[in-house]
Amino acid sequence: MTSNNNTLLRFGLFHRFGHFLIIISFFGLVLTGMPLVFKDYAWAHFLYNLMGGYPTAGNIHRICALITFIAVFLHFAFLTFETLVRKNRNIFWGPDSLLLQPKDIMNVLGDILWFFRLGKRPQFDRYIYWEKFEYLSLMWGTMVMAVTGFMLWFPVQTASLVPVKIATFIDLPSIALVAHRYEALLAAGFIFSIHFLHTHLLPENIPVDEAMFTGKVDEGHMKHERGAYYERLKEEGQLEELKVQPASRRAKFVSKLVGLPLLGVGLLMVGFMLSSLICSITSVIADLTKNIHFDIFSIFAF
Amino acid sequence: MVSLLKTTIDVSGDSKACRFVFISCLFSCLLFFISVYSSESLFAQENSECLECHTDPAEVDDKVRVDPVTGEVELVSMLVDKDAFHASAHGGEDFYCIDCHADLEESEGEHYPDLQPVDCITFCHDDPAETFLEGSHAGLMQEKGIELPTCKHCHAGERSKRDTPRADDLYHRMDTIGKCGGCHTEYYDSYRNNLHGQVTALGHVGTDIATCVDCHGQHTILNSSDPESTLGPENAKETCGKCHPGAGDSFIKHVAHPQYKNLGYYKSAMIALLNIRKDSGQVKSIIKSPQIILTILFVMYVGILVITFAQFGTHMLLSWLGTLLDERKGKESGHDK
Repeated sequence: MTSNNNTLLRFGLFHRFGHFLIIISFFGLVLTGMPLVFKDYAWAHFLYNLMGGYPTAGNIHRICALITFIAVFLHFAFLTFETLVRKNRNIFWGPDSLLLQPKDIMNVLGDILWFFRLGKRPQFDRYIYWEKFEYLSLMWGTMVMAVTGFMLWFPVQTASLVPVKIATFIDLPSIALVAHRYEALLAAGFIFSIHFLHTHLLPENIPVDEAMFTGKVDEGHMKHERGAYYERLKEEGQLEELKVQPASRRAKFVSKLVGLPLLGVGLLMVGFMLSSLICSITSVIADLTKNIHFDIFSIFAF
Repeated sequence: MVSLLKTTIDVSGDSKACRFVFISCLFSCLLFFISVYSSESLFAQENSECLECHTDPAEVDDKVRVDPVTGEVELVSMLVDKDAFHASAHGGEDFYCIDCHADLEESEGEHYPDLQPVDCITFCHDDPAETFLEGSHAGLMQEKGIELPTCKHCHAGERSKRDTPRADDLYHRMDTIGKCGGCHTEYYDSYRNNLHGQVTALGHVGTDIATCVDCHGQHTILNSSDPESTLGPENAKETCGKCHPGAGDSFIKHVAHPQYKNLGYYKSAMIALLNIRKDSGQVKSIIKSPQIILTILFVMYVGILVITFAQFGTHMLLSWLGTLLDERKGKESGHDK
């Protein structure tokens, strides 16, 4: 290894492949599913027809759902392999874990102090607390979406699971529709605004954080972003193990070529959703105040 | 024959020519009467005869039409779009214009301007009309003093009311949702909240997606609480089973009209809560209905959405601001050194 090499490996090929599967399926799911939620707006009609209209868009949605299942299966297979075969306990507890740790609460408090200029920003470990939130909400969301999605895919079979007496109070397909719709709004809104802002649109990373595409990250960047992790690696002497050849210009170009359009589509979707939401809320308020005839000149009546 | 007559008039001074004209007139009259009385079919009014004028914009004009029942006044084009007419329910080979416009049966050439309103019911469609009038829908309308819709109110073509659409015509299916929803606004809104309504709102109204009439029946419209209606406990399995084969007893309990986006539902729930001491039955009926779980779920999700985006939005803004301030500070300290 050369001495001037200062690039570290952050994501292995397996995780990058999983993330790529999730990207493809998530965009497919959102682009075919969101028009149904915003059915009253012209962009939804355009998008739905662009995705192939009634049966086709639905089929794309189901195929993308199956791709998501593959990604989820791969992830849980990885977790099982790590725990059972490699006996790696670090994925559940410790600084390398994606689950929330006591230190994360301290990091959140430290960050709040930093927001109000009352202290320095805490040094983050391998995963920052908001990344853990994103991961956990992805896990929870995928589970809800998968279960309710299957209920909507097979409504007759789902309904027959419930005895008739309970079915008069609990209508599973309707519950699944409500949960699926609003969980989808939550997921799409979260990924396309918060996740994009947290990773790609940060002042340091703008326009695209290439780490998830090339898997490699600059040593200086790592030191700045995840100081505790860098120090820990240095102490444990793992730093040299993670050092790799820097990403080729071609890989960087390809990752930008893939990342930027996806970023654009996502932000466009957020714009559409947000503007439609504002329109809907305005119409609800107009509907509520329809019967209130407030005469501003009545103040002169005395 | 006419051109022949015209040429002979020019030479009318001649007696030979006069005789020729007389004979030819007699001959043509004879030919006319023979043709009229020998074969009636030759002069039965074919559609082509009507369409000769009614497809020519120079021959026919727009006309003010007053609906005989509702008194609605509208401007109607007398032009017939041949393709649209042939695609319509009455556009087949064995339909003639005079089948419906029966008062034109004996006329020929130009006819008098105001025809009798077309009677759909008496000779052809007495069955659906009867079932419609017997249904509780029509009965309730009469009770409330609302004018009953005519056949043409629902069965109107896309461009002209005349082109009666077929039952599976896409425009007709879309139009029916709007026509039903025009009066039943609350049910229209809640239908749009359901998956059926979402897909039809996006423009797909094929027979594989349920519109109002697919569940509630076309002419025999009964209240869904009526056991004899299409959504009664006996018939619902068949009605749902048309699209969802194997629909069971639990499946037909589906809430097709969720109320969680209806402000009236929340108002009535509030009133019921306020009256809980006087009349606890109201609250019980609200809690017992399947709507309550959907409403709780909806309100919960709205709360989660608001909290999540407010919290992470603030976090995002503050951390952006903090990073930018840190960068500036770093630059300044760099300058100082």
